[in-house]
Amino acid sequence: MKLRVIRTMALKEWKETTRDRPFLLLAFLLPVLWLTVFGYGLVLDVENIPFAVVDRDHSAMSREYIYRFIQSRYFSFRGYAADEHALDRLLTETKIRAALVVPERFEEQLAAGEPVAVQTLLDGTFPLHTDIAKGYVIAINQAFTEERLIDYIRRYRGLTYEQASRIVRPLAVEVRYLYNEEVRSAWSMVPGLLMFTMMLASSLLTALGVVREKETGSIYNIYSSTVSRAEFLSGKLLPYVAISMINVCVLWLMAVTMFHVPFKGSFLFFFSASILFILCTTGIGLLISLLVQTQMAALIITMVVAMIPTILFSGLLVPVASLSQGAQVQAHLLPAMYYTNIVRGSFLKGVGADVLWSDLLALALFAAAMSAVTYQLFSKRPKT
Amino acid sequence: MTDGSETKRLPHVARWGRRLAAMTWKEVLQLSRDLPLLLFLLYSFSIAVFVSGVGITMQLRNANLLVHDADHSQSSRELIHRFQAPYFHFSGEISDARQALRELDRGRAMLLLDIPPRFHEALVSGERTAVQLLVDTSNAPQGFSAAGYSVRIAGAFGAQIGLASIGLSGNAKQSLPIIESAHRVWFNPNQDETWFQSMSNVLRMITLFGVLLPAAALVREKERGTIEQLLVSPLSPFQIMFSKILAMAGIILIATCLAVYGVLQPVFHVPMKGADGLFFALTALHIFTTAGLGLVAATVARNQAQVGMMTLFLVGPMMLLSGITSPFESMPEWVQTVMTFSPLKYYIDVTYGVMLKGAGLDVLWKPAGAMLFLGGTLFLFGMWRFRRQFE
Repeated sequence: MKLRVIRTMALKEWKETTRDRPFLLLAFLLPVLWLTVFGYGLVLDVENIPFAVVDRDHSAMSREYIYRFIQSRYFSFRGYAADEHALDRLLTETKIRAALVVPERFEEQLAAGEPVAVQTLLDGTFPLHTDIAKGYVIAINQAFTEERLIDYIRRYRGLTYEQASRIVRPLAVEVRYLYNEEVRSAWSMVPGLLMFTMMLASSLLTALGVVREKETGSIYNIYSSTVSRAEFLSGKLLPYVAISMINVCVLWLMAVTMFHVPFKGSFLFFFSASILFILCTTGIGLLISLLVQTQMAALIITMVVAMIPTILFSGLLVPVASLSQGAQVQAHLLPAMYYTNIVRGSFLKGVGADVLWSDLLALALFAAAMSAVTYQLFSKRPKT
Repeated sequence: MTDGSETKRLPHVARWGRRLAAMTWKEVLQLSRDLPLLLFLLYSFSIAVFVSGVGITMQLRNANLLVHDADHSQSSRELIHRFQAPYFHFSGEISDARQALRELDRGRAMLLLDIPPRFHEALVSGERTAVQLLVDTSNAPQGFSAAGYSVRIAGAFGAQIGLASIGLSGNAKQSLPIIESAHRVWFNPNQDETWFQSMSNVLRMITLFGVLLPAAALVREKERGTIEQLLVSPLSPFQIMFSKILAMAGIILIATCLAVYGVLQPVFHVPMKGADGLFFALTALHIFTTAGLGLVAATVARNQAQVGMMTLFLVGPMMLLSGITSPFESMPEWVQTVMTFSPLKYYIDVTYGVMLKGAGLDVLWKPAGAMLFLGGTLFLFGMWRFRRQFE
């Protein structure tokens, strides 16, 4: 491997890239625009669930009860419905996602100290949102029940409010949120999105590198030249690694200054882990580029390989611990999960190599494996 | 008789149709000779759908819970016991709180429940007491959800003990003014998340391929210069563009059939409550719309590298913001406005509406109309740009 040859190869690739102005613009613009759009726009908290109510009781207490839902920020009230048939239609047309049916004698039964069943109808098409909505309903019911109980005990046992509430609520939970004390979605999302953006953008950058030369035929210049395989491949990678590293720095700056995400870890550690990750993602792009014959195939395969597992199996949205066995295996085979740990750890937890060494090692192994495989696969004497 | 004279005798419409068919066939052949791409298409609509169906749940599952129990009493044990699967996974007791923090740092545990000494004593003597819960919120929604469950569990536990202390029991059929939550979940009664995840992966794939395949096919002709040959042939720009959409839409539709009848229905038992025909007709409309988006990008781009970056730029936000990965109703106003231009947003309503809710066109005419309008506009705009570039 001669450094001079690598430099020449890299320079050639760099010029090819930089002279394609729209491509160059997109290469730098895409990550920035994505982080802006997703950082401000991607909300994962389930709020404003549209719901309707059938009130069969029309009492002061049923109105008070329903008001709890109306004023909650988790629900968005869409009006009263006449009966369950009307709810049926509203649910099918997706005008509402939840409905509440307050039965007759709601007030009467509660005042007499009898249990009342309140029916909730939920749209089950999005199971996660259904689950969360159910949780909100239960929480509101629990709070309302506690008040009724306190009331009831006071009246029948002749206790003060203080005593009664101690009986109903003897146990409190003091919750302390770690790493993201105010539970801001943006704080946990922006570092994750940094990973998502780099995973996609940098692998797509390299995906066309070799296959473009194959398709246009300019690869024959390489086949007949004295450039060795390793020199050719490293020359191909270098410009894209450089572009990606600039992007990482820009995204890091955006996260810290625009989104005010605290960066508690060490920059040196984060930076070196990022280089390893970039080597992995550009390696994936290069590998696909070597395996296919057309740019079209390279584009699509890279996008599917980079996008779908990164959304699903990287810990970006779902913690890896709650994936099934098979999906966990897939998560461990790709670099995205390790880098997610490193990014979140560096930003929010402020941990470094002492805790995250295994993730760093995994990235290094993956990068090494990628280089070895691409080196083996690339041949200057292709069979076809 | 030569072929040429035969063609001349055909009426104009039939000749037009035959040319379109020939171009469409050319696209199909070209695609079918790209073996890696074909294999990948097959994989994306079969194995990938299966893996996402069995692999993922976004609901809180197996949140690793560490416990620091300084009391070791009957009550503390009972409370710990209530943190159950599938939401929580008890990953052991720990004697030192500082060591627990390290485990949280490492990401090996998500929650730490800290039970104080004299917990049992305080509870039975009617004093107020508290347990501490440390939650890792580096993944905010999950952490928040776990905290919510924990507070509910502890609240119910406390109320039960408190009421028992004055001779009332929440469990027995004793009469207490309690609101019981009776839930009925519609359209997916078991809240089977495999349905949702596998279906949404099919939607992702259709959209991704729908944008990228026609776009790349058109740019490829531009990049290689073969477009010049097509332009001097007796083909109209409409025929050149539309044949690409027809070929790609046909292939994606076949792949969708494979996903629906090969994976969704036999493996996951996803119902098809509405009409099959309606679903596939609207799927074709969705592909047409996304293809329109791709063609517009293709008229802007000069080579495939550019079109790749451009589609990535368009498809990324569509995937994350249209409503399959995140709740649409809680999005900021401006995102909802921008996403009215995303065909995927309407197609989500259509798919879940037809498959799970059994809705027909009487309910779905709005999203279907929006898709038609969006697709038509994009296609016309793409045509206009295409003509302007070459005439």
